[in-house]
Amino acid sequence: MTDPRDDLDAWMKTQVQPLPPPPGTFELIRKRARRRKMTRAAATAAGAAAVIAVIATVPRLVLTQLHSGPGPAASSSDLGQSSAANGSRHHQRASAPPQPTPDPTPSAVAPPAAPPDFAATSVTFVGTATGYVLGQAGTPGHCGPPSAYICTSIAGTSDGGRTWHGVHAPVAGAPQGPSGVSQVRFYNTSDGWAFGPQLWATHDGGRTWKRIGTGGRRVTALETAGQRVFAVWAQCTGRGADWAAGCTGQALQEAAPGSNRWAPVPGAGARFSVSGTASAAALVLTGRRGYLLAPDGMLLSGPVTSAGGWQPVTGTPAPCLPGAAQADGQPGGAMLASTTTGLVLVCPGAATGGSQTKTVYTLAAGARAWLKAASAPSAGTATSVSGSAASTIVLASTAGIEVSRNGGASWTAGQGTLPAGGFSYVGMTTADQGVAVPADPAVHAVWFSYDGGATWQESPIG
Amino acid sequence: MDRLRTSDRAAAEELFSACYPRLAGWVRRLVDDDDTAHEIAAEAFTRLLGRWSRLDNPQSYLYMIATNLVRDHWRKTGRERRALQSVGAAAAADPVYQPAQDVHVRALLQALPDRLRSPFLLHYYAGFPVRDVAALLGRPEGTIKADLFQARARLRTALGEADD
Repeated sequence: MTDPRDDLDAWMKTQVQPLPPPPGTFELIRKRARRRKMTRAAATAAGAAAVIAVIATVPRLVLTQLHSGPGPAASSSDLGQSSAANGSRHHQRASAPPQPTPDPTPSAVAPPAAPPDFAATSVTFVGTATGYVLGQAGTPGHCGPPSAYICTSIAGTSDGGRTWHGVHAPVAGAPQGPSGVSQVRFYNTSDGWAFGPQLWATHDGGRTWKRIGTGGRRVTALETAGQRVFAVWAQCTGRGADWAAGCTGQALQEAAPGSNRWAPVPGAGARFSVSGTASAAALVLTGRRGYLLAPDGMLLSGPVTSAGGWQPVTGTPAPCLPGAAQADGQPGGAMLASTTTGLVLVCPGAATGGSQTKTVYTLAAGARAWLKAASAPSAGTATSVSGSAASTIVLASTAGIEVSRNGGASWTAGQGTLPAGGFSYVGMTTADQGVAVPADPAVHAVWFSYDGGATWQESPIG
Repeated sequence: MDRLRTSDRAAAEELFSACYPRLAGWVRRLVDDDDTAHEIAAEAFTRLLGRWSRLDNPQSYLYMIATNLVRDHWRKTGRERRALQSVGAAAAADPVYQPAQDVHVRALLQALPDRLRSPFLLHYYAGFPVRDVAALLGRPEGTIKADLFQARARLRTALGEADD
């Protein structure tokens, strides 16, 4: 037995090792403090002022808090922004949730313009008309207000991507180790989240954002459907733009869309790394159920219409493991999507000389084993997969987009003027409409299809 | 402190530069990882800036806030741990390296009542003299001294039991 006095005295005498702040911390703190002051002031004023006064204030706040970045594009290295695409996930939902109260902003005020030089990293749609794209815009050092060096921006559309306008973004930088955001999801036009690696939430259509504490864990995936929002929280060690690297201890958390109270999902809220091996997890939601492909290849499922336990679906691991995360936090070794009849799993092989084998597996609803369906075209490196109608699979790669309408038996290349370098993400909002994010964010656009993925057209932002 | 009020922004930045690394390091010894330490330190500074013009001793206030935030963090992680246990799953060991001694004493500190823990952390850990701790907590110096004595006694007893 050691002397207890030794332990206590030694602990008390141990010198504190200073922990320097990440770059930009002081600016973040100042913005946050100022925003809280404004919120408090607004709340106080609202209690005494007439409704008309509040209406007159809102558009001014909208305009002053938007991140718009005037000036020419410049190197983003000051902020540690990645020049590579951070990828994205597109929110696909089978059943539309109830719509909230319309935005109280007076309709006579034109929406602010989308910020210039918009480099999209993530897209989400609420229905076919309303969508949001998150990315970095403008020139670091000229992105205020509220911060000159924080250029994370959100553009919104209410006409299916034909036009874009500015939407408030959280005051967070580009992904940088444990800091920043790169992805976006909205449940409806009120409740949304920016994440990867930090987690921020809005419940007023983006007018205000609140940082959600995650206990130091990074949010690598987030999806919302039914009446819940789910997210994968993980312990990660990746630095810089490689924020989703070295992740272990993944756990599935959930919340009600209008709430900031997150809790572990029963049955999937425990840490389920494979013996501590760094890996990723894939999360897919349909209108009624959610599916999580865990790092060990096991598929878990649970309800999305209410809080409830998640349970294993398959008796054996998937034919491929999620493996290491891509730049956007999604698995690079196993890509999961849902169709109206079941799940699709794409297992990419080793990439050599610009090509890669891509084996497609399916899991029918109610089945307990994956079935090998087909192989997708080998051109390019697979980045993302999406399903829509029963047998339709849309696969994005660094070479473009491939579409199969017969479960993978045959494939057709998506047509149109496509970006060099292909896409980092594709998602089908409906059987007809889909959206894709280019692998090269410097393109300043996203691509839409309105014919089930057959043809794709560019939609410039900013 | 007068100088702090003459140029708020510069003074705040100066305080940030001077205090943040040590505050974050201080928090780091009490929580699980660097990210949480940064979250808490940044939140403490945010709250500090919100009350900047009304404070005589910003540094003391900063540590007071951080102490409360650490306590909240412990409560939250305690709830999460219980939730994980309730679904029958054992949480994997935290991959972040933690000196065993820190974890050991920290666990015991978490078990102390707030009344004893706050003065202990502020005095023995953050380094504030008893007089400042008394002012911060709004208690007489004699009470703080008694609390510190009691906290040490409890910790030593607990450490002794843990080693048996």
